[in-house]
Amino acid sequence: MDTVKGQQWLIGIFSTLLIVILIIVAGMEMKKSESTKPEIEIDKTTAQCITCHEDKGIAVKQIDAWKESKHAVMGIGCYECHEAKKGDFDAFTCTGSNILVARHPTPKDCGKCHEQQVKEFANSKHAHQFWLLKNGDRAAFEFPMATRHGCEECHQIGNIWPDGSVGECDACHAKHSFSLSVARQPETCGECHVGPDHPQIEEYIESKHGNIFKAKGKNWDMGYSTTNHEQIPIEAPVCVTCHMDGNKTQPMTHNVSARLATESQAPWSFRTVWDQEHLGDWKKKRERMEEICASCHAPDFYKMYFLNADMVNLQYDEIRRAFVHWTTKLTKNGTIKRLKYKGKYWSNPVLNGWDELPEHEMYYGWHHEGRRFRMGAEMMAADYTQWHGIWEIQEDLTELIKWAAEHGDAEAKKIVNTNDPRKFITYALYDVPGTEWGIPTKTNTTPFVYQAFPDYWDRIYKNVETVYKRGLISEDQWNLWLKRYKNRDYYLGLKYANSPQVDSTWNFYKKRNDIDFKAMKEQVIDLVLPGKNFYNNK
Amino acid sequence: MSVKAWLKERFPIDYDKFIEINENIFIKEPIPIHMKKWWYCMGATPLILFTLQVLTGIFLAFYFVPSPEMAYESVRHITQDVRFGFWVRGLHRWGANLMILSLFLHITRVYFTRSYQKPREINWILGVILFGLALTFSFTGYSLTYNQLSYWAVTVGTNLIKSVPIIGHSLLVFMRGGEEVTANTLTRFYMLHVWFLPLFLVFFLVLHIIVLRLHGVSEPEGFPKGKYFPFYPHHFYKIIIATLFLLAVMSALSIILPPGIGLPADPTTTPFHIKPEWYFYPTYRFLRMVPLKVGIYVTAAFLIAFTFWPFIEPLLSKKNSVRRNISYGVGALTLIITLALTIWESLT
Repeated sequence: MDTVKGQQWLIGIFSTLLIVILIIVAGMEMKKSESTKPEIEIDKTTAQCITCHEDKGIAVKQIDAWKESKHAVMGIGCYECHEAKKGDFDAFTCTGSNILVARHPTPKDCGKCHEQQVKEFANSKHAHQFWLLKNGDRAAFEFPMATRHGCEECHQIGNIWPDGSVGECDACHAKHSFSLSVARQPETCGECHVGPDHPQIEEYIESKHGNIFKAKGKNWDMGYSTTNHEQIPIEAPVCVTCHMDGNKTQPMTHNVSARLATESQAPWSFRTVWDQEHLGDWKKKRERMEEICASCHAPDFYKMYFLNADMVNLQYDEIRRAFVHWTTKLTKNGTIKRLKYKGKYWSNPVLNGWDELPEHEMYYGWHHEGRRFRMGAEMMAADYTQWHGIWEIQEDLTELIKWAAEHGDAEAKKIVNTNDPRKFITYALYDVPGTEWGIPTKTNTTPFVYQAFPDYWDRIYKNVETVYKRGLISEDQWNLWLKRYKNRDYYLGLKYANSPQVDSTWNFYKKRNDIDFKAMKEQVIDLVLPGKNFYNNK
Repeated sequence: MSVKAWLKERFPIDYDKFIEINENIFIKEPIPIHMKKWWYCMGATPLILFTLQVLTGIFLAFYFVPSPEMAYESVRHITQDVRFGFWVRGLHRWGANLMILSLFLHITRVYFTRSYQKPREINWILGVILFGLALTFSFTGYSLTYNQLSYWAVTVGTNLIKSVPIIGHSLLVFMRGGEEVTANTLTRFYMLHVWFLPLFLVFFLVLHIIVLRLHGVSEPEGFPKGKYFPFYPHHFYKIIIATLFLLAVMSALSIILPPGIGLPADPTTTPFHIKPEWYFYPTYRFLRMVPLKVGIYVTAAFLIAFTFWPFIEPLLSKKNSVRRNISYGVGALTLIITLALTIWESLT
């Protein structure tokens, strides 16, 4: 090959090789140009639907949305979902054709291909119209025309169809693009999980998760699949990430109950037993959720977070016990009366009622404020636990007791007339020493109960031990609580509350506060206007 | 009027002389007999690759936009939308990798044939400068894709500059165009990559070739001395063969292992694993093994020794055989350490 002839041969061989490779490159380029837009093959029936709908201008945008869908690419046309048999509840012959069409594809139709998802959904609490069981006087208080596009619109998600199937897939999977990105948007969940009685979307946006999503989510591709046991591809979770999406260890699920360990929308908070035979007990469900948390957080953080949230739920139950005490007592002694029509009761002293204030306050204390208090603690939404939660619950209870006193209840009168601050705690307490966020050095020096009751932590210990023995918290949680209880001076920060470092920092701000207060006093508190008031010239 | 006469009127130069010079310099350039062996004649490979890099780089520059908002998107556009964009980018990316590889091989060959010896010391130093420029080329080019890995490689890479005594911080600010890696860094790196580095590289390359031609190709020990063959056609054909071979290999690699586009750069999220390109592995691994200051000084000492080896070697012994043995020993040790560090880093 060292001869010139040999070299010329080599040139020939390599030129040919290069040409062959360049042809492959060209082939790849052609294939790439072809495959940039997925090809949609439209079968005869679908073509007939599309032509007719476009001609008549009926629901044309839906056709455009379908063309963008994975259905279209996979050859799932109109009739695959809208197929009907004679006698079907929603069958009708489409005008201008002889095609028998189903007006409402139901989960039974979706389940022909998405069997697992439909099954999982049907086993979730989304599919259960529990509100119909205990509607009580709401059925009397709100008339059908109001609820039609109120309650019903959201609770349609658990609709039981005439064909026996349950659910409304397009409540989340907006038709007809059925886009994963749309389904995954927090606003999709927020269509229903919004407002005073279950403000999850507001709570999410208040949380750090929601904040990161709002700031950066617009650049995230939300159409990803999580069925392959891969890492969650987005930086902060949306609703679906924790409640449905899979990660490295957890499978994707349409059963939103699979990871919920506490029932916190019901009048009482309790550990979930929903579909226990398939999903396992609440501990198993919590384990699933923790596996998702573990994608981003360390166990130290999320286990403590959940312990605090669980304690908030248990605490809610104790406050609820106080509400129930008053409404049942006042009902029994006839101070408040149940709604009754032709022998049937239309209100329930422990659930709702509208004509007497205690019923009203009790309803709010559960259905609105009580949920916000609990869900805020579960979803990192401080304002909902605090101002929209416990503050309003306490006000509800105070108002209720005041009303009872005004209506002659001796026990209530005693509470109202005393100046003992213990009157605001007519229930037992739970507590967890400290938070998951860090060590607060000054915060825990102020609470009334810490200052007034030397046996405070002994009482708390007994309460927590009782709920542990009753299975309301797990052994792990009990041990975590014990660890904190034993080192409570450290976790509450009291150990450091008067250390020189903390005091020096604290005094710096105290001085600034004195300056602020002095300024406030000089500027406005001591201000006397010469014009006087117009009532008595003082 | 013939074309030749027309041209002669416009460019009144002595054509016969021109042809004669051309014949002497190129066509009949005496090439030592050992360069008929493939192992010894590949010094032109980096030059071929550089030419291809210039051509593909110009095509990429048609579409590339050096701004944080557009850099990643334009790379994606080139790779996914532009006709033959994936191929041109593949050639450029693989060209860069093969360039470094061919330079490694070229340097190793020059070192072990001890072609750097007097009077060719300066050409070795020019070669080292060219190698440095090639590495800077790769580093700046890699950063332009503005994906997560490249962004963080730039951040970590430029961070090292801080450790340079006294002027470290100023150098860092100058490189980045500020304290952080921002739009300024991107435009700076772009200007370096497409303007300053090519200019410097061409300058030093021309010098490298001039010095080479002035001395003639060195003749290694073990080959008959004083035997030559003309540049054309034998060596010229070898260059053509190498060009065709490289184009074929790079095109094939662009198909089989096309360069990805990764995730868009996100200055707020540090990826779990930050790794530079493979040719920085030995340095990177070494810097991570020892305290940073020590690492920087040792690396600098190595670079100085490496650059001035042709001058250091004669100081070691008067006997050629001893010098040769020391050189071979040092070379072999460097090679083993480099390979070991590269493999180690690639496995972690």
